[in-house]
Amino acid sequence: MKLRVDGDVCTGHGRCYTVAPDLLTYDDEGFVSIRDQTIELAADQIKAAEDAAASCPEEAISLIEDD
Amino acid sequence: MSQPADRLSTDETTHGGCPVVHLDFSESKEAGCYWAQAAELREAAPAYYNDFGSGYWIFTRHDAVRDIYKTPELFSSESITPWEPEPAYRFIPTQIDPPEHVKYRKILNPWFSPKAVEEAEPRMRELCRGLVAEIAPRGECEFIGDLALLYPTAVFLSFVGVPVSEADRFVAFVDDFFAGFSGDPEKLPAMAAALQGIRDYWEAGLAERREDPAPRDADLASYLMHATFEDRLLTDTEVLDMLQVLVLAGLDTTRGQLGYMFRHLADHPEHRQRLIAEPELIPNAVEEALRYYTIIFGDGRKVTSDTEFYGVPLKKGEMVYGLVSGANRDPRHYERADEYLIDRERIHHMGFANGPHRCLGAHLARKEMQVVVSEWLTQIPDFEVATTEPLVERGGGAMMSMAALPLRWEA
Repeated sequence: MKLRVDGDVCTGHGRCYTVAPDLLTYDDEGFVSIRDQTIELAADQIKAAEDAAASCPEEAISLIEDD
Repeated sequence: MSQPADRLSTDETTHGGCPVVHLDFSESKEAGCYWAQAAELREAAPAYYNDFGSGYWIFTRHDAVRDIYKTPELFSSESITPWEPEPAYRFIPTQIDPPEHVKYRKILNPWFSPKAVEEAEPRMRELCRGLVAEIAPRGECEFIGDLALLYPTAVFLSFVGVPVSEADRFVAFVDDFFAGFSGDPEKLPAMAAALQGIRDYWEAGLAERREDPAPRDADLASYLMHATFEDRLLTDTEVLDMLQVLVLAGLDTTRGQLGYMFRHLADHPEHRQRLIAEPELIPNAVEEALRYYTIIFGDGRKVTSDTEFYGVPLKKGEMVYGLVSGANRDPRHYERADEYLIDRERIHHMGFANGPHRCLGAHLARKEMQVVVSEWLTQIPDFEVATTEPLVERGGGAMMSMAALPLRWEA
């Protein structure tokens, strides 16, 4: 599974890196550091990724199933 | 205040397919009344036309409020108070629309980033510990005046590089401003005087810094005077428009949130005990307080073109009001929406707005609240509300805030 952050939608609430600190972190402005990026998730990161996506007030995080 | 628009006859009960109401959100009421009113409005209809002031639309449910926030090209921030579509002030970046908005935010964001807040946390804790240590032996306090206003003021002023000895002056400005912000015409002169007072303070501040060859360390006014916007320096007017709103937003809001959170803790010993046993839960408890006890009753925007929005015909120039406090407890969006769940998972809310105008000070506000809960419970684990009289809150139009919260405990 992959996690993607839509950089046009993220406004830096910081909920994702707060609920999933082992997976995500912030940049100097307070946005998640991987805006407009897609990252691969290990099996033990999926729960954290789901928590981050569901906690985003902007719905900027999507989880993409592998083909 | 102008009268309702002439197309609305007095006996008309619907407008644009919406119920017509006449609601004044500037009145003080018993604490909690504004959330109850938001819930009533939300459950009875998704949208209203309020013929208060010059008239505006109210959207009560989560998805509509979210979409108002996330569609700035249709809903301009030129005015954020629907009872005052042509405000006398112009806050930057609050009232700036895309694409200029993000350029101002880029200048300010690093100053209020989670990194900046983390660096400040040790001194924030030390300051709070000292204030609570002064209060604890008394066995009682008036929480709003003794801590909820004083602490965020001191933190904010130190954050922007203003001597904390200026706190009383700024607190008076903030009180006068928000008295008029909710649309009470009698209080508009005091509001205007407060805005001028803040501006005069900073104009003198800019003059004093004018000859500095480089920005002063830890001094926001000085930083802004040297900041660039599209390869030019910010003008004095821009700097003043920024400093003015930062003072207002930074001092009052956290006071309001802290008041409701501490009334909740006073009334819920089981939650106090849970947070003492599991302090790692404090950030979650604060986040749920921001959802459940949202002080933002609603947020206004100005319609930029004729459109239909959630079935309501809107005309260019009309005002809309997204009922944030209703949206944050909308059962269509949240499970057990009308309960404060201290261990709620995956909390998200619009207490810091949504879309591009997400609260600049959100990271600082959360940390201030977390620090106060943690330092207070360490020194005062048991406490209760010290009155049987009803607690009073300021009208939601200016953001709810309790006038006073007397607390007592065994010293």
